[in-house]
Amino acid sequence: MTDHSASYVDDRRFGLHPGLRARIAICVAIVTLMASVVVAATTMTVTRRTLIDQREESVSRRVLANSRTVEGSIGRAATQDVQTVLSSLPDAGKPSVILAVNGRTVTASLDTRFGVDAIPRSLRDRVETGDSGIMRFVIEGQPVVAIGVPLSAQGGSYFEVYRLDDIDAGLRALSWTLVLATALSTIAAGAVGYWASRYTLRPLTRIGEATEAVALGQLDTRIDYDEYAHDADLAPLVSNFNAMVESLQDRIDRDARFASDVSHELRSPLTTINAALQVLSNQAEQMPERSAQALDLLRLDVERFTQLVEDLLEISRFDAGAVRLELDGVAIVALVTSTVSNLTDGSVPVESDPVLDDMVIACDKRRVARILANYLDNARKYADGATGVFVERHVPDADEIEAGVAEDDVTLRIAVEDRGAGVPESERARIFDRFNRGDQGGSRGSDVGVGLGLALVAEHARLQGGRVWVEDRDDGGQGSRFVVELPLLPVDDVEEDLSAATPEAASALTLTGEHKAISVGALDDERGST
Amino acid sequence: MAVVGTRILTVEDDERIRTSVKLALEDEGWHVEEAETGEDAISTFTREPTDVVLIDIMLPGIDGFEVCRSVRRLSDVPIIMVTARADTHDVVAGLEAGADDYLTKPFAPKELSARIRALLRRARPTAPGNPRLRFGDLEIVPQEGVVTRGDEQVHLTKTEFRLLVELANHPGTVFSREDLLEKVWGHGVFGDGRLVDVHVRRLRTKVEADPANPRHVVTVRGLGYKLQS
Repeated sequence: MTDHSASYVDDRRFGLHPGLRARIAICVAIVTLMASVVVAATTMTVTRRTLIDQREESVSRRVLANSRTVEGSIGRAATQDVQTVLSSLPDAGKPSVILAVNGRTVTASLDTRFGVDAIPRSLRDRVETGDSGIMRFVIEGQPVVAIGVPLSAQGGSYFEVYRLDDIDAGLRALSWTLVLATALSTIAAGAVGYWASRYTLRPLTRIGEATEAVALGQLDTRIDYDEYAHDADLAPLVSNFNAMVESLQDRIDRDARFASDVSHELRSPLTTINAALQVLSNQAEQMPERSAQALDLLRLDVERFTQLVEDLLEISRFDAGAVRLELDGVAIVALVTSTVSNLTDGSVPVESDPVLDDMVIACDKRRVARILANYLDNARKYADGATGVFVERHVPDADEIEAGVAEDDVTLRIAVEDRGAGVPESERARIFDRFNRGDQGGSRGSDVGVGLGLALVAEHARLQGGRVWVEDRDDGGQGSRFVVELPLLPVDDVEEDLSAATPEAASALTLTGEHKAISVGALDDERGST
Repeated sequence: MAVVGTRILTVEDDERIRTSVKLALEDEGWHVEEAETGEDAISTFTREPTDVVLIDIMLPGIDGFEVCRSVRRLSDVPIIMVTARADTHDVVAGLEAGADDYLTKPFAPKELSARIRALLRRARPTAPGNPRLRFGDLEIVPQEGVVTRGDEQVHLTKTEFRLLVELANHPGTVFSREDLLEKVWGHGVFGDGRLVDVHVRRLRTKVEADPANPRHVVTVRGLGYKLQS
């Protein structure tokens, strides 16, 4: 399940679609950019117009005043003095003053470009016909404004030409400032949007975490509704999420309970059947042969049925999470040896790594014994019985270390070998599934149980942080080798749990997890016994 | 085969189970009295001499736990609880109520017989010539079934006494829970260690001055229990 969710996350990050947060940030930035551009453009236009209007107004007033002065001076002074008059005007030569009277033109200018020819025809015509005029135009790329005033007494025209490029330079500086401000505010808006979206999206993050927890099997995960109750957008989402998980949990619980309830319901009749069968079996010698034979068939199938009910109950406890790991210090080789000899009347040899012989490790005895019993049972049903049991200490080899196994991750392997038909490669993973009898070749005769035994083995191993698999025999011969691998936990890791026998302490010890379960809720015997 | 004349009281509300179990147990040679309810059971128990009580936990009226406690108040006979659920809670609650052992349905009557026989076994006498075992203020006389702490006689159930004698026969030796299950209860590899834990705890409340800090019946971390002075 972890792999699954991880690949989901990868997909999400992989595409070109930005995440929700990025999208919010981008939107905020775009809106800010558009607003900034509009503001900047408006600012530019208004500023430009205002500056030019002001300039034109002030210049017009001055030109009018100058033209009066010139008009008066010309009337009294000699013609050659006109140049002097013009030069004496305030602001003369900035950039040019032009006087045109009856075809004669007098210019007072610092810049020869601004002669009378530079003044547009339309303005000259207008002034010659007796009207004042103002006109903006461009000379050699330079914006200028020309003001013309008719000199009514002499029948001439008076022009002044002013450069406007100082205004343009100012406006250019302003526009650069605005562009910079726009860019900065866009970036800032994006950043603020990204930052603010974290708060906006915090509920989504919370829901995301809750969903992941549920996906990983923590079905009691809920989101605190009160926290979002005031939020009209989120409250329905939160309450629906909670309702969904609630019903999911209900359903899973119901399914688990159903299997458990069915098995429980079967227990009472099975008790009667077992007891009654035994009473009958006690009389079997006095029965006619046919009846005795029928009774024998009945007995075998009641045994199988009873085992099935036991297995179903056991596996439903795993499903309901009601299993409890009991770790003890265990002399593992002795445990395996005695279990195997008890279950097989000593006919199956046990070989162990001498390193392990006196080793006491932490494990759940009952589950290890159960795993062995089921493996031996499997070998009996499908392969004429086990040929050997091996207890080994496994140190990760180079391949495993390459694949990410820690170098000091030493494990315990218990293997049960048989000389049956073997398990085809394609069946090896599936054989540990529930009710999967698998294709173990020589399924023989009457005593083929339904496959919960190996599924239970897998569950018992998983609970202890171990795993199971089936492979070829070590000697490469015909047959299979069923392996369970368990962590080699030193006894020091086990907290004393002998006192877990009070109902409260026992429920505190009810464990559902995998390996991590080992460290949960153990109590010290001396303290717990009060 | 059973000791002739041994009387078993079975308390079970399901008539078919009750009858079939009675038949099977009688085949094994036991004498069986039946009770349908807890009330019946208690009145039968006070009336008839009984050697072993078999109690189903799920009973109408007063439940199996209560019956168990009532019987325990009256006597130290072995009690076996029969439960449909091997869940932690039921089993431990039954043992806490004073049961000596438990079985889950469906059980084989032969298994039940074996359990009864194990509980009825007498405490194994210690080496001859050493009739009294001393552990500090604790004195055990296996032959007479007597335990005293200081000047006071300690009252133990048969199973508690057998557990204590088992530990006392090899002072200082650490017994794993499996060892004790096999020796005291006659269980095989799949025995339930909680039986031992609960009994050890009960034993401590009787033989220890301070059961929370036991001096005699001590836990050896991760390995089991031992008896010391």
